Amino acid sequence: MADYAYIGKKMPRVDTRAKVTGQARFTADLDLPRMLVGKILRSPHPHARILNIDVSAAERLPGVKAVIIGAETLGRKWGVFRYTLDQQMLTTDKVRYIGEDVAAVAAVDAETALAALDLIQVDYEVLDPVFDPMAAMAPDAPQLHDDFPNNINIHVPIEVGDVEAGFKKSHYVREDTYAAPEDSYFQAEPYAVVAQWDLDGNLEMWMPNAGPHMKSKPLSNLLGIPLNKVRVRKIAIGGAFGGRSEISPADMICALLAKKARRPVKIAFTREENSIATRQGHALTTTIKTGVDQEGRVLARDITCYMDGGAYSSTGPIATSVPFLCMEQAYRMDHVRYNGYRIYTNKPIRGMIRMHGRGFACGVDTQLDLIAEHLGLDPVQIRVVNARQPGEYTNTGSLVASCAMQKTIEKAAEKARWADKWGNLPPFHGIGIGTNSVQTGFPMGIRGGSQAIIKFNEDGGATVISGVVDNGQGNDNMLVQIAAEELGIRPEDIQLVTADTEVTPSDPGSYSQVSTFIGGHAVKLAARDVMKKVLLTASELLNADVGDLVARDRMISVKGDPERAIHIKKAIRMGLVKGRAPSGEGAYWPKVDHKREWVQNPHGQMCGAFSFGTTICEVAVDPETGQVTVLEVTAAQDVGYALNPLVLEGQFEGSVAMGGQGGMLTEEHVWKDGAVLNPTALDYRLPLAADMPPINAIIVESVDPDGPYGAKEAGMSIAMSAAQAYCAAVSNAVGVYFEDYPITPDKIVRAIREKQAKEN
Amino acid sequence: MQLPGFEYLEPRNLDEALDMLGEHGAEGAVLAGGTDLIVRMKQRLQTPRFLLSLKHLNELDYIREDTGCLLIGAATPLARIIDDANVRARLPAFHTAVSAIGARSIQHVRGTLGGNLCQDNRCRFYNQSAFFRSTRQACHKAGGTICYAREGSDRCRSTCQSDGAPALMALGAAVTLRGAGSERTIPVKELYTAVGDAPLSLHSSELLTEISIPLPGPGVGSAYRRLTFRAAIDYPLVSAAAYVRLGDGHIDEARIVVGAIGSGPLFLVTASNGLQGKQSTDEKALSAAAGMAGSSAGAFIVDNLNADMEYRTAMIPVLVSRALRGALAAAGA
Repeated sequence: MADYAYIGKKMPRVDTRAKVTGQARFTADLDLPRMLVGKILRSPHPHARILNIDVSAAERLPGVKAVIIGAETLGRKWGVFRYTLDQQMLTTDKVRYIGEDVAAVAAVDAETALAALDLIQVDYEVLDPVFDPMAAMAPDAPQLHDDFPNNINIHVPIEVGDVEAGFKKSHYVREDTYAAPEDSYFQAEPYAVVAQWDLDGNLEMWMPNAGPHMKSKPLSNLLGIPLNKVRVRKIAIGGAFGGRSEISPADMICALLAKKARRPVKIAFTREENSIATRQGHALTTTIKTGVDQEGRVLARDITCYMDGGAYSSTGPIATSVPFLCMEQAYRMDHVRYNGYRIYTNKPIRGMIRMHGRGFACGVDTQLDLIAEHLGLDPVQIRVVNARQPGEYTNTGSLVASCAMQKTIEKAAEKARWADKWGNLPPFHGIGIGTNSVQTGFPMGIRGGSQAIIKFNEDGGATVISGVVDNGQGNDNMLVQIAAEELGIRPEDIQLVTADTEVTPSDPGSYSQVSTFIGGHAVKLAARDVMKKVLLTASELLNADVGDLVARDRMISVKGDPERAIHIKKAIRMGLVKGRAPSGEGAYWPKVDHKREWVQNPHGQMCGAFSFGTTICEVAVDPETGQVTVLEVTAAQDVGYALNPLVLEGQFEGSVAMGGQGGMLTEEHVWKDGAVLNPTALDYRLPLAADMPPINAIIVESVDPDGPYGAKEAGMSIAMSAAQAYCAAVSNAVGVYFEDYPITPDKIVRAIREKQAKEN
Repeated sequence: MQLPGFEYLEPRNLDEALDMLGEHGAEGAVLAGGTDLIVRMKQRLQTPRFLLSLKHLNELDYIREDTGCLLIGAATPLARIIDDANVRARLPAFHTAVSAIGARSIQHVRGTLGGNLCQDNRCRFYNQSAFFRSTRQACHKAGGTICYAREGSDRCRSTCQSDGAPALMALGAAVTLRGAGSERTIPVKELYTAVGDAPLSLHSSELLTEISIPLPGPGVGSAYRRLTFRAAIDYPLVSAAAYVRLGDGHIDEARIVVGAIGSGPLFLVTASNGLQGKQSTDEKALSAAAGMAGSSAGAFIVDNLNADMEYRTAMIPVLVSRALRGALAAAGA
C-alpha cells in the first residue's frame, strides 16, 4: 500500500468545528445592510388558470419595497434538457400544484411582507386536477402541459438482447408489482436565498446548492444577462441529497425583487415550503418480470415503471433512468427490457433522491428473495450468483473496471453472522440483505469535467481554487486532504476558495457522486502541476534529480537521504526569484461516452466508475403492534479507496438512517386533494437518534484505475441497499413479502393478521 | 416561521398572575413551557393579544406529599417529576406517561405538567400552516362549519393527545384551578369537556395551579401504554391507562382510560366495571375487558391523526390489555 501522509487516514473534517459549535453561517444567517425580507405567494389550487393578478393594494402597503409577478419576467421556461423546457419560475398561464410560485413581495420585515401577500388579488379559473399518474394518462384526463400529450413527460425505453427468448429459456419466471409513495429530502437546512446587485449590474447570490455553476447558468439564461455577471458565492450548506440540484424559482424571484427594490433581499423558506415547493422524491409503481435458470441466474428481466413526476420535468430523464441503471450495474442479466414513464400530475415537482425510488430497488430485491425461496437458495447465494464482476459490461454498454460487489456481500454476511442466523431466528425476528450499485459521474454535458487552480504563497501555504461544493458530505475536507498530500504541506496550510462562480472554474457540482472522482482529481492534477515547478527549483538547490525528491510535512528531501532537505517555502521563494509562477492548473474529464443520452441513446459508457454496496439488517417485530425494533445493521461498500474512513463511516450511518430506518419504516408523504398533510418534521417522521440501531461499517476497497488514489462514490450504495435490507428483514420476520413501502406498523399488523387468517 | 405580535406579561408572583388573567384572560394565553402554544401561534392557529408567562412563578414548581396525596405544582418541569421517588415507585402509570412526553431535552428545559394537561386538541387537518388552511374552507375548530376528519360531522372531532390526562384520570387525580379570588378543585375527568373546539373546562380567568394524586396503598397498581412510530417527540396515536385495586386475589376496582382516540380522554366505565370481582389471573375476563374497551373507545375514533385509522382502532384493545397486565403486575398480582 502506498505510503500517504493524509490520504487514507482518519481525519476530522475541516468544517466540523464550525458546524458543531454553531459558528457556521448558512444562507438564512446572512444579514446584509438594508436587506429586505422576501415572501412568495403560492397557489392554493392544484390546477387553475390565472385570469388576473392585482398587486396594487400590496404595493401601497407601507414598508413594501417591491412586488413582482410572472408578467414582469422574460417568461422563459426552464428545463434541465432542451426537450424538457416546461417551467416558468413565476408562472403566467396556469398553476399546476398547490404551492406553486405566483407572485412575490419584498418588504422591510416579515410581518409586512406576509401582510402584503394577503393583499394580492389573484383571479383563478379552477381546473380539474389529476393526482394519480395512471389516471393522468387516460384519454380524457386534464392536461398539464399542451406539448406533452397524455401527461407523459418522459419515456425511457431500453431493450438489450432478446427478452422473450430469455423468458422462454428460463426455469422459473415470475412477475410482481411494487409501489411506494413520495418521500422527502428533509435537508436540515430549509431552502434560503439572498440576492444583491451592484451598480454595474452584477448579481451576487447565496443559496444552498449542489453546484454553483448549475445555478449561475440557468439564472443567466432566465434573466438574460451574461454568465460572468451572475456570482453565486460559497456558503455553508445543510444537506442536498439530490434536492438542491437545479435552479429554484426562489432564486430568480429573489434576484428580481432585489433588482426592483434596489436593495438586498433574503427569502428563507418555512419547513413546509421546503417540503412542498423545492423537490420531492418520485412516487412509483414498478412491475418486474424476471426469469432465472435453475441456479437462480437471471436470464431475462422486463421492468415497467410509472413515476409520478408532479407538475414539471425537473431532472426527469435522469430520475426515470437511474433506478434501472443502478439495478443493471448491480446484477448481471442476459436480456433486459425497461420502460420508464414519468407522468405529470398536479402535485409538487419531483427530483432525484438518494434512494432513487424505494418501489424499484426494494421490488427488485424482494423478488430476488422470492425466487431464491422458490429455488431453495438463500438470499446471499442468489446475490452472489448474480453479482456484477469486475471487467464486465453492463447491458447498456458500460465497462465496470473496478468492482468488489461480491466481496461486500461476503464481508457483510460474515460480520452479520448470516449463516448462523438465516432460518434460525426466533419467531418474528428476521434478517435481510440488500445489494445495489451507484454511478460515479454520469454525462453532464459541457459541465462533465472539473478544473482547478493552485497557487503557493511565499510562506509555503497554498490556495486551492476549485468549483467543488460541499453541501454536507465533507467535500471541502476531501480537497484539503488531496492538496495537502500532493503539495507536501499540512492541512492547516491550505486555504480553500471553492464554489464561487466568479472565481472558481467550472465543475459538475456534487451531482452523481462525482466530487472526489472528478473535482478531487482536478485538484490532484493541479497540485502535481505546481509541484513540478517547485521541485525543479528544489532540485537545483539540493543538487538532486527531480525524480529523487519527495515533499512531505513542509519539507522537500532527497529520497533515501533525509538530511538533504529544504523547507518548501525556500523552493517557492527561490522559484519566485527565478520567474517561475508558483501556481498550477489541473483538469479532469471522465471517460464517458458523450454520445450517450438518457432518452435518445441510453447506450455506451455511462460514467467513470461504479460503486457497490451491501447492507444486512436484523429486526424484531412486535406481532401485536407491528412495531419494528432494528437490532443491528451491517453495511459494506466498495468505495474504491477510502480517502478518509472517518467521513465514510459517517456517510454509511447517515445512509442507513435515510434509506433504511426512515426510508423503509416511517417516511412517506400523505395527501388530501393535492395538499401534503405532513410537511413538517413532526409529522413526516424522520428517524431520530434514539431510533437508530448499532451499525457496523465495513469499507471494502477495489482501487479504481481512474479514481484519484482509486476512490469512487461512497455512501449512496448503502442508502439504497439499506432500504432493501430493511425491507427484506421485516419480510423475513413476518413471513410475508411486502409490496408497498414504507413498511409501517399498520401494514405489518394487517399482513400478520391476513397470514394468520389464511393459516387457520 | 415568525411569531405574530403580542404583548408579553411577566407576573412576578401567583397573585399578580391571577389578577392579570382576570383582566386579560379572554384575549390572552398562558405561556408555561410553550411547546404546544408557540407552535400553534407560529401557525396562526392562535393569535393572543397577551401572553402571560409563568417563568417567574416559582410558587408553582414543587412536589410534596400531603395527607395521602402527592401534590405537584403545575409549572414543575417534567424532568423533576420523572425523577421523583414517589412517582417512580408508587405511580407507575403517571411515571410512564410523563417519561413519554416530548423528549428528554424538552422534559428538562421546557415542558411542564400543567402544559401537558392543558394542551389543545389536535387534528391533522387543523394543526397546519396558515397557507395550508388557505387552500380550503375553515373547519369547526377554525371557526367554520365543516369537518375534514369525518364527513358531515356537525361538530369538531379533534383529538386529545395528552399523555398525562389518561394516566391521571385512571389514578383518580384532581386539579386545582385558581382565579383572582376563586379556587376550585375538580377531578381531572371534569377538566376535559370532550368538546373538540373547547376541550377544557378551564375558564379564561383561571390558571391550573396544582395536580393532586392520591398515593395508593398496597394491592394497587397502575400502568400506561402508548403507541408512536418513533422513540421520542411524537404525540401518542393511541394510549391506555389502567388502575387496579386488588383484594384477596381478585380485582376490587379497575379503571381503564383510553387516550388519543376521542375529543377527551375516554374513561371506559363498562369495561372497567366488568373486571370488578374477577380473579386477577382470569385471562378471559382481561381479554373481554380489552375487547370491550376496544369497541367502546373505537366508536369515537375519526381519521384525523397521522396513522391509519383502522390500525389505531385495532390497537386500542392491544394497549388496554397491556396496560391492564402492567397494572396487575404492579399491584403484585
